[in-house]
Amino acid sequence: MRWAKARAIVPAVAALTWSAVSRGESAPSADLTPPIASYEISARLDTEKKTVEGTELLTWTNRTSHPTSTLRFHLYLNAFRNTRSTFWRESKGKARGKTMPDSWGSVEILRMTLEDNTDLLPAVSSIAPDDGNPDDRTVAEVRLPRPVEPGQTVRVALDFVSRLPRVSRRTGYKGDFYLVAQWFPKVGVLQESGWNCHQFHATSEFFSDFGNYDVSLDVPVRYRGKVGATGRQVEERVSPAGDRITYRFRQASVHDFTWTADPAFLVVGDHFHEAGLHDVDITLLLEPEHRRQADRYLKAVRAAISGYGRVLGPYPYDTLTVVDPPWGASGAGGMEYPTLITAGTSLSAPASVHEPEGVTVHEFGHQFFYGLLASNEFEEPYTDEGFNTYMTDRVLSAVYGADHPVLNLFGLRFPLGIDQRYPVDSNRRFFASATRDVHATWSWGYRDVETYGADAYSHTALALATLERLLTINAMDRALRLYADRWRFRHPSLKDFIAAVNDTTGRDWTWFFQRTFGSSGQVDYAVDQAESVPAKAPRGLFEKDGKLVAGPPEALATPKGYDTVVTVRRIGETALPVEIVLRFEGGRTFRTTWDGEARWTRFRVSQGPRLIEAVVDPDEKILLDANRFNNGLRVKPDLRAASRWTARSVFWAQNLIDFLTVAW
Amino acid sequence: MSVRHSAGSFLRGLALSLSKPYLAVSLWLIQLLLSSVLILPISNILHDLLDRSVAGSRMVANPDWGWWETLQREHPDLLGNLSALSAGILTPEGVKSGQLPGLQGIGATAIALAMLGVVLHAFALGGIFGTLREPRASLVTFGREGMRRFPAFLAFTLAALAAAGAAYRWIYLETGEALTRRAQELDTEGKALAVTGLRLLALLLALAAIKLAADSVRAIWVARPDLPPISRFFTGLGGVFSRPLRLFGVLLWYVAVTLGLYLIWLVADPSAGGEARLALVPLILTQQVFVFVRLLVKVGYYAGISDALSRDPSPEYSYVPPAPASPPPESAATL
Repeated sequence: MRWAKARAIVPAVAALTWSAVSRGESAPSADLTPPIASYEISARLDTEKKTVEGTELLTWTNRTSHPTSTLRFHLYLNAFRNTRSTFWRESKGKARGKTMPDSWGSVEILRMTLEDNTDLLPAVSSIAPDDGNPDDRTVAEVRLPRPVEPGQTVRVALDFVSRLPRVSRRTGYKGDFYLVAQWFPKVGVLQESGWNCHQFHATSEFFSDFGNYDVSLDVPVRYRGKVGATGRQVEERVSPAGDRITYRFRQASVHDFTWTADPAFLVVGDHFHEAGLHDVDITLLLEPEHRRQADRYLKAVRAAISGYGRVLGPYPYDTLTVVDPPWGASGAGGMEYPTLITAGTSLSAPASVHEPEGVTVHEFGHQFFYGLLASNEFEEPYTDEGFNTYMTDRVLSAVYGADHPVLNLFGLRFPLGIDQRYPVDSNRRFFASATRDVHATWSWGYRDVETYGADAYSHTALALATLERLLTINAMDRALRLYADRWRFRHPSLKDFIAAVNDTTGRDWTWFFQRTFGSSGQVDYAVDQAESVPAKAPRGLFEKDGKLVAGPPEALATPKGYDTVVTVRRIGETALPVEIVLRFEGGRTFRTTWDGEARWTRFRVSQGPRLIEAVVDPDEKILLDANRFNNGLRVKPDLRAASRWTARSVFWAQNLIDFLTVAW
Repeated sequence: MSVRHSAGSFLRGLALSLSKPYLAVSLWLIQLLLSSVLILPISNILHDLLDRSVAGSRMVANPDWGWWETLQREHPDLLGNLSALSAGILTPEGVKSGQLPGLQGIGATAIALAMLGVVLHAFALGGIFGTLREPRASLVTFGREGMRRFPAFLAFTLAALAAAGAAYRWIYLETGEALTRRAQELDTEGKALAVTGLRLLALLLALAAIKLAADSVRAIWVARPDLPPISRFFTGLGGVFSRPLRLFGVLLWYVAVTLGLYLIWLVADPSAGGEARLALVPLILTQQVFVFVRLLVKVGYYAGISDALSRDPSPEYSYVPPAPASPPPESAATL
């Protein structure tokens, strides 16, 4: 990689000095965790050139037990540098189904020095640890003149310039709107095994270390009052010329910093207070054409803070900023950053459809799994997206009930009168690709983006919902709370959650995770046979008084009741224990649990009451079951449902045929 | 004035339709048979999957999203790939007929039935327009007139179909393709929706013009048997230009009444709520009565178009057969 030569710091940016560090101005109070990577940044937005010019002071501490002679940095805006980046290659130039515009982004380091003014820029090189792509510039490594010892802190000063792309995926601008994310050189995570600093991928999000942020943003004065960012705004200062305004934000104990600005924003404030939880100042930055949906946004935010907080512990930060991106900037929506989330809605969002509620609750939920726990989204994407989807479903179901699919006609959305229940219906996409990949795969290792979504999000949500039903919801909540408390700020992995489950229940549930996360198998149980016929007298030769005679003895000659046979099959490759219920006339039931290991099991009842139905998994605990409609068989058919749906189908086919002949 | 005229034509058309209910019955039978062919395999699999399934009972009243998703996944051969291929058949680049051999399942059946539907539609329109002009007609007249006009009406129908496809491609698809990026750069979603609305309005107006032209040609074709075919065709086209508001008004009345019927149906929805609202047989009867009423309105529209074109003062669109020659006076015979 060829790095731009060091040049003078952009004059308009207030240069940070070592003395500022020594005065401790950048050290916000109320650290929730000892900082590893803290930043002081001064940045200037140039709305003509669509660039952010900045100066950064990184204070980084080696908290491993080994010295390191290198530092690694995320330079994620370089994912948008050209079509040869790993992100562009993996996404094939598409983001959320749309072709990305030819609008390029980049981040260049102009200066990099140590505290003693050692110039590090010549020691910077580009690396591609994930795929070896020589054209990818999203990770940089710098060789230090001397190792950083365990416990030692190093300070690095950088000048950089970030060119923003027209927003298509997570970051950029659209008109006057800016969502400035992944915009500054950010140090990777040093673990005992070495640097964990992945490239920017099409299907992955982020992983960083915690620290304190003190960021000053210099923007044109027309953005006055319309800037939102990670943390709390502590200063507002208009330039002497009156044409620029500087906002300063500070936040302790987070692992990223993102900001947004749009002169069109309506700024709606709210305050969350609930006994037992932390008070939160909510700022909703809303597009004017969505003003009627402000209450929907705020209700969803309050439901999320409460719903997640009750299970996982209080959201500990004082602020939360919710961004409603404008039309044409949906690529900026549905993202999470520390104390700032982006949601999204449409003009015609029907009240019975959970938009913008669903995305708001979900993105807030990331404040726990991506934010506080900070799981590695590259290597275990399901521990963030999947765990969060599971919790999102719980909150939405409890607060709003069932969702409804929409019919999108000419840009307008019309709700259909069909219930989409959480979590099964909301995660049905998993079943379409259930066997394509081992469910626990690195984020960019899935076969395609559909499989990534189905496995990382939906499979995990269904697996956890299944586990919840096997454990009971109280035990599940205790396990989640233990996991969240034990691993807050510490980058847990799936095995840490398994340990929390085991510790909570006193039983080893590793097998469950091995089968549901460690395989590419599908779960599907079916009742294959359910017959109940009047018992018949046996025929043939029988012993009577020591002799063989034709015909059964009197006791067997007149049988009563019914002979019943039920066969249950395991169709899917993955075996889980399931309950089986046989319901008989007269209210009698037979209930048992089958370990599900064999391919089938059979039940026979001789001269018993007549069977009504046989059901596998009658309480619908195994939500991973791909086909629930083969889970129960009735002995006597019931034609009503099929007949009514046939009538409906004929009726609407008649209307469709007529409609198709109207125009000509 | 045009409103009054068009309303009058539409109402007289409805009255004519009511006086000849067998026309609507014919359309009803055709549509019922076509839809039955389409639905039969779906019905069979519905019974196969639901009759003995414990989960089936909860679908008596309400649709089940999960069942639909499971059906699509477990029986891809049944539903086929129409939805996947439909977007690729009529594209901004034109009709990709090469996609048709790839159709499978119900989708392939639907395409074949649509072709059959076009043919039957042409036949039925010949019967309807011919019968409407006969003061004393019957189902026999319908059949006779349908076959008599069939070649010409099939040509009109295919031409109108092609014109509608071209309008969709050039007015809606092409503009959508050209404006996608620009629409994304607009300030608000409201503006983008307005642009889509304008494209849609232009398409609807074009489709309305195509429909009125086709129906006018059909009506004149029947009304002026005294003219040679070419003259009949152009006279029919001229009919649209001579009284566009009146014809457009009749079309608007037809659309409004039909949409009103659908609105009533959707609000009342006799199939919702399962047996608690309506048992199966009354439900089927209600559905078919609705379809029949809608077809009465449709026949009324065609009659209204005929009426709007042939009513005074427009003798140019109405053929009046010459009076039969009076017999010679008896006295002359004797001479």
